[in-house]
Amino acid sequence: MSIITPDPARPSEARSLGSQIARDFGRIAILAIASLGAGLAMNRFSLHPLPLVYQTPEQRFDAELTTLVAAPPFEVASAATVGLEEFRSAVGGKSALIFDARPSVFFEKGHVPGALNLARDDFAHDYRGLAGVLQAAHDKPIIVYCSGGECRDSRLVADALLSLGFGNVRVFSGGWDAWSAAGLPASTGSGH
Amino acid sequence: MHPDNSRRNYAVLAVSVAVAALFIYAGIDKIRNPQQFADSTAGFALLPAVLINLLALGLPPFELACGVLLLAPPTRRVGALAVAVVSVMFFAALASALLRGLTLDCGCFGAGAPSRPRMWLELALDVALFSGALFVYLRSITRRPARAA
Repeated sequence: MSIITPDPARPSEARSLGSQIARDFGRIAILAIASLGAGLAMNRFSLHPLPLVYQTPEQRFDAELTTLVAAPPFEVASAATVGLEEFRSAVGGKSALIFDARPSVFFEKGHVPGALNLARDDFAHDYRGLAGVLQAAHDKPIIVYCSGGECRDSRLVADALLSLGFGNVRVFSGGWDAWSAAGLPASTGSGH
Repeated sequence: MHPDNSRRNYAVLAVSVAVAALFIYAGIDKIRNPQQFADSTAGFALLPAVLINLLALGLPPFELACGVLLLAPPTRRVGALAVAVVSVMFFAALASALLRGLTLDCGCFGAGAPSRPRMWLELALDVALFSGALFVYLRSITRRPARAA
């Protein structure tokens, strides 16, 4: 590819190519600065703007919880877990309230039949929306799940429910992955 | 025009359009959910908290711009070099995460469940993107005749 290889016998050509590449990197730097400016401007007018300093999901979740109860720090006793068979029988027998802690976009794509979306990333909003259900079944066992594997959302939501005064809250640690891998039925849509 | 040159020009166009489509898609997807991308970025444990959100806000418009620049012949060269730079950045981050034994959602081309096989796949995609971008960049550099002093 002769077009890309400067002739070593022609140093001016090599210099020209070098300066062209240097100019291109300069343009990329300008583009990067402009992109950051555009990103910050879009964030300024976003409905859910990001703070300039990153907050972990746990920090954001704690901030959400403070909008529901006024006495942080919360008493967090870690919720117990249930296996697939116990979870399956609770779903089949409707003996527990089932909450899906994943973001609504994943919930709508597929969830355990009868489950309600109590998303970790929109906990305060969903919790207020489900206040009636939670009030009516305050003493009923609650089981929370998320994607499965290493997801933390079910644990966070379960611990938050415990700290909000619900006594019988457990986590199905297999989550949606284990449920769907077992070929069990699924529902789609918002479920409300 | 020589048939070889014509074929090469079509190849440049095809690669540019494919890479541009991927970058425009990735940019828009991240712009729609910057928090998700910030969480994915944090999962790599490479950047301090003060830089994570700045990257999550700045990189998506940059990717979008790369895609748009690749589509127009006068700006294709800069777009291709920018894609190559971003691909190297993604590759380095992913390779480092894989070497450290992390299992995470890269967040490079949309959100998904954390998965090591997917990380390997995205690493391979970065290599393909880098190769494609380099091909377009090298084809776009025109030799300038040396001027007489």
